[in-house]
Amino acid sequence: MVNTNNQLHVIYSDGGLGVGGDNFHYIFNYTRSGIESMVINGKEWLYREPKPIFWRATTDNDRGNGFSQKSVQWYGADMFASADKVDIKINDQLIEFPSAPLNNKYSNHEYADKVEVIYHFTTLTTPTTDVEISYTVMPDGDIAVHVHYTGNDQLPDLPAFGVRFVMPTLAAGFQYDGLSGETYPDRMAGGIPGEYQVDGLPVTNYMVPQDCGVHMATKSLTVTRNTTKDNSDKSSTPFKIKFVNDGQPFAFSCLPYTSEELENATHQEELPLPRRTVVSILGAVRGVGGIDSWGRDVEEQYHIPAGKDIDFGFRITKS
Amino acid sequence: MEPDIKWLDDPETFRVGMLPAHSDHRFYRSPDEIRNDDSSFVQSLNGQWQFAFAKDPMHRIQHFYDADFDASSFDEIKVPEHIEFAGYDKFHYINTMYPWEGKIYRRPAYALDQNDKGEGMFSEAPDNPVGQYIKKFELNPAFKDKKVRVCFDGVEKAMYVWLNGHFLGYAEDSFTPSEFDLTPYLQEGENTLAVEVFKLSTAAFLEDQDMFRFFGIFRDVSLIAQPEAHIEDLSIKPTLSDDLKDGTLNVETKMTVNKSGAVAKVTVSDADGNQLYNDTQPVTDSITVKDAPFKGVHLYSNHDPYLYQLTIEIDDKDGNVLEIVPYKFGFRKIEINQDKVLTYNGKRLVINGVNRHEWDCDSGRVVSVDDMEADIRTFKANNINAVRTCHYPDHKLWYHLCDINGIYVMAENNLESHGTWQKLGAVEPSYNVPGSVPQWKAAVVDRARNNYEMLKNHASIIFWSLGNESYAGDDIQAMQEFYKRVDPTRLVHYEGVVQNRKYEDVISDFESRMYASPDEIKDYLDNHPKKPFILCEYMHDMGNSLGGMKSYIDLIDKYPMYSGGFIWDFIDQAIRVNDEVTGQKVLRYGGDFDDRMSDYEFSGDGLMFADRTEKPAMQEVKYYYGQHK
Repeated sequence: MVNTNNQLHVIYSDGGLGVGGDNFHYIFNYTRSGIESMVINGKEWLYREPKPIFWRATTDNDRGNGFSQKSVQWYGADMFASADKVDIKINDQLIEFPSAPLNNKYSNHEYADKVEVIYHFTTLTTPTTDVEISYTVMPDGDIAVHVHYTGNDQLPDLPAFGVRFVMPTLAAGFQYDGLSGETYPDRMAGGIPGEYQVDGLPVTNYMVPQDCGVHMATKSLTVTRNTTKDNSDKSSTPFKIKFVNDGQPFAFSCLPYTSEELENATHQEELPLPRRTVVSILGAVRGVGGIDSWGRDVEEQYHIPAGKDIDFGFRITKS
Repeated sequence: MEPDIKWLDDPETFRVGMLPAHSDHRFYRSPDEIRNDDSSFVQSLNGQWQFAFAKDPMHRIQHFYDADFDASSFDEIKVPEHIEFAGYDKFHYINTMYPWEGKIYRRPAYALDQNDKGEGMFSEAPDNPVGQYIKKFELNPAFKDKKVRVCFDGVEKAMYVWLNGHFLGYAEDSFTPSEFDLTPYLQEGENTLAVEVFKLSTAAFLEDQDMFRFFGIFRDVSLIAQPEAHIEDLSIKPTLSDDLKDGTLNVETKMTVNKSGAVAKVTVSDADGNQLYNDTQPVTDSITVKDAPFKGVHLYSNHDPYLYQLTIEIDDKDGNVLEIVPYKFGFRKIEINQDKVLTYNGKRLVINGVNRHEWDCDSGRVVSVDDMEADIRTFKANNINAVRTCHYPDHKLWYHLCDINGIYVMAENNLESHGTWQKLGAVEPSYNVPGSVPQWKAAVVDRARNNYEMLKNHASIIFWSLGNESYAGDDIQAMQEFYKRVDPTRLVHYEGVVQNRKYEDVISDFESRMYASPDEIKDYLDNHPKKPFILCEYMHDMGNSLGGMKSYIDLIDKYPMYSGGFIWDFIDQAIRVNDEVTGQKVLRYGGDFDDRMSDYEFSGDGLMFADRTEKPAMQEVKYYYGQHK
């Protein structure tokens, strides 16, 4: 389909919403809680749909002060998050959800200047609260992602909050414009601003695998891969995707593991063979603490209180 | 004298037949030897030794030390090496509890009952493995007709020594040198040195440090020949005028002299080699420098570790060199001023410190020169200006490296009896040793003496630390009294002040705490503080940690009486092994060796990973320690 008017081609399918344009094509799944396919320049960037992050692999400090016990609800919330509602806006107008047979009214020639898909999550906590992840696709293919957490002070502090993108293959590396080294809200003064290239997806060699690799105050992150899962794709030419701040810097980690995979290992060698790339874009990061490792909490100002709303956003763009 | 296995059970027997502790000066035959640091008076016995392991004292080979013993059935072991690394005994990591926790019921002799001598507690214990070592050697021909001693730089935890079947003595205090005179029993041709090492003795109650529990000969073993006139002990006392402009040097020695007419040439040079002092004196009981003035002295400090060179050459009456002793020293002044502020050369001193266990993931506490030099480079690169030798004296070279690099040292005794007074986190000192138990006092004062005598001349050392987490009592008070008596130029530190306020004024010049929160520190300093405050341990860097350091650094500008602290700690303790599944080299920690009870990953609190790569937190240390450097 040649897009002559630089608009988005919108496909009102039965199982999801397709959004295409020059050298990109996205599919938003209606039942799997998020964007299922993100093809840029012919390369698939998603292994599974992005989900909200509520958990981080317990640090030694978290373990020592019982944080993971106190906040254990967020572990299940993270592991099993699923959206219970999807909204679609075309050119900023909410449309009636285009389920079959309602979508029979559309054709293969539907265009829009802007498509927004909003996934509503109800957290698997007691009590529950609401999280929305919205994806707004621009005609140039950029996706503005906005994430909202609705505060509920009946819930325990959050271990983390963000969105997790799992990519199909292991990245060759990533570069970012931010602070040197691994930083956290309460350990970032020594980080030196700059542009950094990281080869591969190093996991910090903590004796017991735990949350690691967070980079605070980041302006942009570019992930480079050179492999795909596509059996017909013989190319090893590197290809990239870029996450750019949307006004406010963000925090991220780029690792071969989810927090649950890290959580389960007692030694580095127990981690699975690295196969995928897990990019966590974080809107809130809990500090690591350090007064001691057997009871003292992270300092108050570096907690993520459950009672406060969290809003953050970023853009995904062709690099 | 006959050895007695019961010494293992007796806290009052901790050194038998040993030469007195003395300064760590080296002595050489020529300037060339000094330049190459290769003394012809030293014959290394490092290398392959014959070895037999017994699982407990009852199963050990009797009379293996006899001159005619047939050791053909013995294995070989490397010296130095922990017996566990050689594969004979299990690696075991445990923090505060004793390694026999859950296995054997023990209470320290005399602690609960003055009639309980603890007989058989270790000498007949099923959990007390034994290493029997034999080393055959031929004496360096140049040592013939000289007095010769054997020096063990470090042996855990109790050892008996024989030469050619003759019993020489017994030693504890694993981390300071043990020396025995071999002269009476040396023979032409082959000599047989036999060493029997026990993993446990009463010393085990005093060496309950948070670390892997090893035993065996883990530091160098040397034969040392003694020149006919010899400086046995060297004491260098550089002091400063009140205005810090001029220095005064006093030197005293203890001598062993078997040759009359010897002459000592004493010189002092500055760092450029300009001679500032020159004296020749007949060698008598002591070689002395008495109140030698040094005008306009160049001060020693972290930023400018300026050292003067003392050299004492002893010649015989014909002018032949008997020995040359070089030693570098510095002029500096450590004080607590009238405002109760810790000062160094008259200015407030902020400790940007770390605690450092000796560690190498491939050899445990057998550390190499490369390890030590790498650690110093890491200190310098990250604005670390001080080290606490937790919780035992380190390899001798470490102090020299600290001297020449200006690293301030808190020199800690080999003492921790954590398991006798803290249980399940609560202070419960019912059977604390040394406490005020009279039978344990001499052993711990001896440890203080060993530490002091060996290290007293090091410019880098500014604090003596009585030990770690051993509670408080009369015996620790006696240690502080020892230091106060022998050394008015340095301060004494002990954290146990916090655990038992009764001893507050007699065991530490500081209010020393570990892991106090910033608010607790403020609370102390806002309420008529008696002493300057120091954190002997803080910022517990276990795993992904070291958050919130700002709150501590902010105290520095607010409170002059806050002296900074020592981060816990420098390097993870983990052991590198081949993974049984993948064959890859991996790092293992407590509990990974079927070792129980254990404290598992609690040994991984370093700013460095166990393989000596930096943790990401290091850049934060560099930043904050750069704020007040």
